[in-house]
Amino acid sequence: MNPALEHDHDMAARFVARMDGESWSEADEAELQLWLDGGAGREGLLLQIHAAWVAATPVAQEEVVEEAPAAPAFWRRRGFLGAMAASVAAVVGAGRWLDARSSFATRVGEIRRVPLADGSVMTINSGSELTVRMAKSSREIEIAQGEAWFDVAKDAARPFTVAAGKVRARAVGTAFSVRRRETGVEVLVTEGVVESWSEEDESLRLRLVAGERALLSDTAVVHHESDRASAVDRSLAWRSGMIDLNGTSLSEAADEFNRYNQRQIIIADSAVADEQFDGLFRINDPQGFAEAVKASLNVGIDESDPRVIRLVKSK
Amino acid sequence: MTQGEVINALARRRMLAAWMAREIVPHEAGMRAWLARARVSAEDIDELMQEAYCQIVSLPSVDHITAPRAYFMASLRHMMLRRIKRAQVVVLDAIGEIENWRDENIISPEDEAGSRITCQRVMAIIATLPERCRRVVELRKIEGWSQKDIAAHLGMSEKAVEKQVWVGVRAIRAAWANAEAQSAQRMDQTEFSAGRGR
Repeated sequence: MNPALEHDHDMAARFVARMDGESWSEADEAELQLWLDGGAGREGLLLQIHAAWVAATPVAQEEVVEEAPAAPAFWRRRGFLGAMAASVAAVVGAGRWLDARSSFATRVGEIRRVPLADGSVMTINSGSELTVRMAKSSREIEIAQGEAWFDVAKDAARPFTVAAGKVRARAVGTAFSVRRRETGVEVLVTEGVVESWSEEDESLRLRLVAGERALLSDTAVVHHESDRASAVDRSLAWRSGMIDLNGTSLSEAADEFNRYNQRQIIIADSAVADEQFDGLFRINDPQGFAEAVKASLNVGIDESDPRVIRLVKSK
Repeated sequence: MTQGEVINALARRRMLAAWMAREIVPHEAGMRAWLARARVSAEDIDELMQEAYCQIVSLPSVDHITAPRAYFMASLRHMMLRRIKRAQVVVLDAIGEIENWRDENIISPEDEAGSRITCQRVMAIIATLPERCRRVVELRKIEGWSQKDIAAHLGMSEKAVEKQVWVGVRAIRAAWANAEAQSAQRMDQTEFSAGRGR
């Protein structure tokens, strides 16, 4: 290896070692950027050495060999769950003392308030599936699908932890919501402080205070927003049966309604999909929403198929 | 840059490294053997690999890649062909090999098994490190402690722990490169003797 290349290897290894720690700062980031810009191919070299270091984890290796974390068989029977009337509150396995496990599922359009044994209250959003496990020294919720908002009763001896995939959010006494999305897990805090992290990478611990929202994947903080208390309130409007749109794109707004209603909104005119939209709507009123869109964006409504509302180009 | 942007930049790098460690690193030795069969020199293999890693960094996201190994190999093949077009002297052998690269399954499961980074292999690499460094790397990689916790436990400063991790990163990188070179050589020999036997 020539000396220049060897030096590059050394530098890359040094940055990897520092990123492996907990004190990565703005100065570190600036220094790294300067080094990366100083030579072609350094980005690739850094990733190569970083990946080799991460790969040299015996534990991570075992995870690679294993199948993707298997969901409990119970959750796989979606069809079976969907077919069940109203909500399901089946006690799946009550084990040791104080260690009861209950499962809950809501259908599309159903929002359910469930008081928990410890005095906390959870509000489960449409089309969600979750498990609650109350033990002597812990309170654990696992979200298999969907979203729920938690008003947590204070109990310092029993941390309240919500798991969604590998992402965790923990609170002592506070109110927050956790939503499992395709792109990651969204944590929204309405009161108090929540600590969130991923089982995959514990160093990604994040403290969220009231008004903050973060989107976490198994291995990264994808998005982190603060000082948006009003946005957080808006995102949780579903608790009172409303959808609050504020500069939301039409396609996102349609997704929101489709989450709660069997009757789906389809945007057939792609030209308006990105148009932004404001307003407060009843969650179970896609028709009212479609009428409002029709009036303000000058699109047509096609209701020839009773199962869907199509927004089409107006003639 | 704000603190949030710094966190996001670091998180993205960690996410990418974890993805590569999971999806690509286990296949790297097999890919190197595959390049070696096309008479690519060891130095050029290093360069091609680095270039392919660069290409991954330049992507806005890797979420859309459903078959990472096939994707990575296609990108290597593409860069290889571009190199050959630029080169004035073309080795016919090389073209023949590369033309056969369409099938990503060209690496046999046996090749793969020989090149996997096993738990024992990682332990063996760690065991060869100098005492002080070995303790730090063991706590970090095997016990999963944070650098901060290690510093408190061993009564060292965090900077000193980071320095030992740096030594560990370099050692693991070197051991890897070494193992890959050996494995590439071994596969080449196997192929050579198989060819003679025909």
